[in-house]
Amino acid sequence: MSRTAKILGTVFILFWLLTALAPGLIAPGDPLAVDPAQAFHAPSLAHPMGTDESGRDVFTRVIHGAGDSLYIGLAATALGMGIALVLGTAAALAPRWLDGAILRVLEALYAVPSLLLALLIIAFTGPGVGPAIVAVGLSTAPGYARLVRSQIRSVKNSEMLEAATVLGRGTWLKVQNHLVPNALRPLLALVTLGIGQAVIWAAALSFLGLGTPPPAPEWGAMLSAGRTYLHLAWWLSFFPGLAIVVVAAGATLIGRSLGGKVNAA
Amino acid sequence: MQRTQRATRLLTGALALPLAGALIAGCSTTSDPSATEDLKPVAGGTLVYASGDAEPNCLDPHVGGNYPQALVASQFMESLFSKDAKGEIVPWLAEKSEVSEDGLTRTITLREGISFHDGTPLTAEAIKANIEHLQDPNTASSTGYLAVGKVTEITIVDELTAQLELSAPDNALLESLSMPWTAIQSPEGLKRDQAANCAAPAGTGPFKVESWDRQQAVNLVRYEDYAAPAADPERAGSTAHLDGITWRFIPEAASRYAALQSGEVDVIDNPQPDTIATAADSGLGHLAAPRPGASNRVELNSSKAPFDDASVREAFIRSLDVNTGIDALYFNTAERSYSLLSSVEPLGISAEEKFGTDVERANQLLDEAGWTERDAQGYRLKDGKRLSLSFPVSTNQSVPAEQSLFEQMQAAAKNVGIEVKIDLLDLSSWYGALAKHEYDLVSAPYTKVGPSVLRILFHSDSTVPAPSGYFANNAQIKNPQLDRLLVEAEQTNDEAKRAELYERAQQIVLDGYYVIPLYDQQNHFLFSKNVHGMGETTAVSSPTYFNVFLNK
Amino acid sequence: MLAWLGRKVGGALVVLWLVATAIFIGVRLIPGDPAEAIMGGPGSQASAEALAAARSEYGLDLPLITQYLMFLAKLIRLDFGTSYALKDPVLQVIAEVLPPTITLALISLAAAWLLSLIFAMLAMRATRAGQCVGNAVEIIAAAVPHFWLGAVLIMLFSSMLGWFPAVDNGTGAGLVLPVLTLALPLAGFLTQLMRDSLSTALGSQFALAARTRGESRLTVFWRHGLRHAALPALGLTGWAFSSLLSGAVVVEAIFARPGLGRSLLSAVLSRDIPMVTGIALFSALVYIVVMALTEAIERLIDPAGAES
Repeated sequence: MSRTAKILGTVFILFWLLTALAPGLIAPGDPLAVDPAQAFHAPSLAHPMGTDESGRDVFTRVIHGAGDSLYIGLAATALGMGIALVLGTAAALAPRWLDGAILRVLEALYAVPSLLLALLIIAFTGPGVGPAIVAVGLSTAPGYARLVRSQIRSVKNSEMLEAATVLGRGTWLKVQNHLVPNALRPLLALVTLGIGQAVIWAAALSFLGLGTPPPAPEWGAMLSAGRTYLHLAWWLSFFPGLAIVVVAAGATLIGRSLGGKVNAA
Repeated sequence: MQRTQRATRLLTGALALPLAGALIAGCSTTSDPSATEDLKPVAGGTLVYASGDAEPNCLDPHVGGNYPQALVASQFMESLFSKDAKGEIVPWLAEKSEVSEDGLTRTITLREGISFHDGTPLTAEAIKANIEHLQDPNTASSTGYLAVGKVTEITIVDELTAQLELSAPDNALLESLSMPWTAIQSPEGLKRDQAANCAAPAGTGPFKVESWDRQQAVNLVRYEDYAAPAADPERAGSTAHLDGITWRFIPEAASRYAALQSGEVDVIDNPQPDTIATAADSGLGHLAAPRPGASNRVELNSSKAPFDDASVREAFIRSLDVNTGIDALYFNTAERSYSLLSSVEPLGISAEEKFGTDVERANQLLDEAGWTERDAQGYRLKDGKRLSLSFPVSTNQSVPAEQSLFEQMQAAAKNVGIEVKIDLLDLSSWYGALAKHEYDLVSAPYTKVGPSVLRILFHSDSTVPAPSGYFANNAQIKNPQLDRLLVEAEQTNDEAKRAELYERAQQIVLDGYYVIPLYDQQNHFLFSKNVHGMGETTAVSSPTYFNVFLNK
Repeated sequence: MLAWLGRKVGGALVVLWLVATAIFIGVRLIPGDPAEAIMGGPGSQASAEALAAARSEYGLDLPLITQYLMFLAKLIRLDFGTSYALKDPVLQVIAEVLPPTITLALISLAAAWLLSLIFAMLAMRATRAGQCVGNAVEIIAAAVPHFWLGAVLIMLFSSMLGWFPAVDNGTGAGLVLPVLTLALPLAGFLTQLMRDSLSTALGSQFALAARTRGESRLTVFWRHGLRHAALPALGLTGWAFSSLLSGAVVVEAIFARPGLGRSLLSAVLSRDIPMVTGIALFSALVYIVVMALTEAIERLIDPAGAES
């Protein structure tokens, strides 16, 4: 991965973090302010991304939507990674039979495709942001957990650890000093890749009407609402879609520059 | 039983004869691009119809009873009565009907020589079997069940005549019996188990159900023994022009429209307003057939705070600017309504003055009602409680444009310090929210032929859930005077008195600020230029394809 | 081989048992009356008789452990019950909707492979600037949500150009847009992966040796590079297939195709628990079968490497 790509990716993510934390700096308007008389205006100087069916400024909404959209992506990834760390570490360090049992549980989670798992959870809980996060988080957990397990196992068997054991260090110290840093670095790359995918899956749930309720300016929900007017006002769905693509692509760039592989995302 | 029979409404086929052709046109308007050429009907071809509604679980419109079922069932099932171009009820499968002087006995005589798709002849036995089927709790009918609620007993007089005993006079009975939800199907078919009857109900319509591939299509084919409507002499004895109809379900509005544009389908329903507005330019035909019964409206739940206070209801309504939103979202394809009833209902009254925007008055009313404090987000407070309204919205019942309109209401209400919480729900959760009274605002369309829909929607009895769990009085109005007017209006046999009683009843509801009328229940169809003869509809404005032909 | 098969079947049964157990617990965790949940949730307006019937059918008044054993016993007999919404046996519905989804997923998988092969080959020959563009295209393709891509493809190729039908019509042409919608993002992933391993493989000693022996660049690519590039991508087939099944939920809705995804979506929306249970178990089964098949193929291609 080239240096340019790395810089580009970092700039992207920093930009979105800024918009997520302080959207008012970039777009001072109110993302919910309607003005029906100004509906369906094409992009112009006054409205760089046009206006939507209720006369809301799409640019303001895309910027203010970064918080919600990234929050879902981050929270889902954090949840998935949290589960993965617990299960993966346990599996790696546990006796053979427990390792096998945990692997089976992971396989069961993996066996139900992500969106189907999400729908399954929503069938039990009803739609909403919370269930969407849980669903996306759970469905990404097994992929992370496998990597955690294999990372820890490779480190566990490494010479470093043998040396530490010879030196008579305690188990906890071993985990702290050797396992965590060595196992976590590749995971960080994977997580960056995963955030982009989590944003996309959360958007898919919004598309199916099972995510963030309108009129909140979440990207997936905006895309979903905008596709109704695709023939009339392409900008309604183009710009939120672009935001998702940019975030997901930026995350991929960073993830790859950190040495991540696409396959486990 | 010595009752003097008096024909209050002698409806014979002969009377209806001059109405030939436009017989069932209802109040629909159509802009058929081919209307100017006078084409001779061509027989043959299969029309592909694409519906945006969810695929029904049951093709028998007795079961449940919603509009998507009516749309498809109108092709293979017919009712005892129908509605003509002037909005008058005319006999259809029935030949004539009489009511006793006390209004408690309704005699219906059927046309001769009609048989169901399964070969069973249409006799008085069918009337009895069908009404009993609607009233059977196992059928789980909600629309048809209410429509025949006053029928207590059905006696078969002779082969073609049945006599209906009523618990109270019902001047809306013929209107009720003109709807697809009370359509007549083969009594032999009804004897099958429900799943079998749901898959292929046997009616008398110009098409019959050949097969139903779930998620793909209901395949309808021409019924060769169709007995054409008596009132249409030109088409007497003939069958449908089309070989059949492929009835598809394409939930995505954009895909449906693209499929129509590229000629994969011939007719679509539920088009997006912007595509209706540009239909003529795109060389497409457009049929607008507003549904009868209630207008599309938002109801305010008056049974609990804060809407138990009439001035809060008025304040909310005054805070809104609905018209600008409708203009922008519907591209002049929907006209703002100020009436509780559809524009096709002659007895509806309009009250524009009640719904004008007046933000100043809204603020004043709220101040007077004690909602004076404001919280950090600018919402009004009273006794530390926020002025907050919950608004469950069914994604099945409200199209995207309508959902946007609700979001605009939300934003407008916020300007006067009212919080509106919109919850987009699937149908099941939406019914659940209603059943638990977890709503302050709700939009629940209701289609019925005639003004008696007012009794279903606003009589206090309708606040009590029916056996199916559904209740229709979502505004939760409990007004004894209104109840009396609505009951009386349904029982009188004096047409002028009926109109006056319904007018007074509507005035009470409008004066109480219980309802925000939006527009007629939208019912639009777009069709390709190969489709000719579109325009005829049933009493509930669902198009029929008996006279439609393809010229590819 | 027989032992391997036995292990696979045993593992599959355990996984299915876990999925079934999770669903059983999930249904019991729904607040409110489980009978009502089975009949379609609070809005089902199920009658008292219908609820009573559901209670006795599922033994809801029996102890939890008995209910669980009854549930498992039914699954073992392949009795998934009747879809309350469709009123048909769940197994019959699944038998109808599984083939179109599998077909769509398989064709999309093949298309994605083909596309990424072409991409990877083009990238081999491209200039540095070209590679940069290719890189960007892959990353963007992998980041495009299905539902957006589908809508855009319909607008371009159906509404504007009129080349392909917008909705499924049972012909091959009707498959083009849905397959593209599923295959393009996947191809983005696969290409990234293949290029990584391809450049490693082609930079290796034996590839260089082959070049010095005078073999053409293309021959080296086919004979050495591809084999090495394909293996890691092949290992991804299970994951790819699973992501295609997810995508099918969206694509089937957009293109009005019958299938497992659309059935699941409507089952979820109508809270049709028997249907949801059946579809979850079957998609897990499909995944397990695909995984086992890829593993078998890997063993054929590279017997030594499969035991890791």
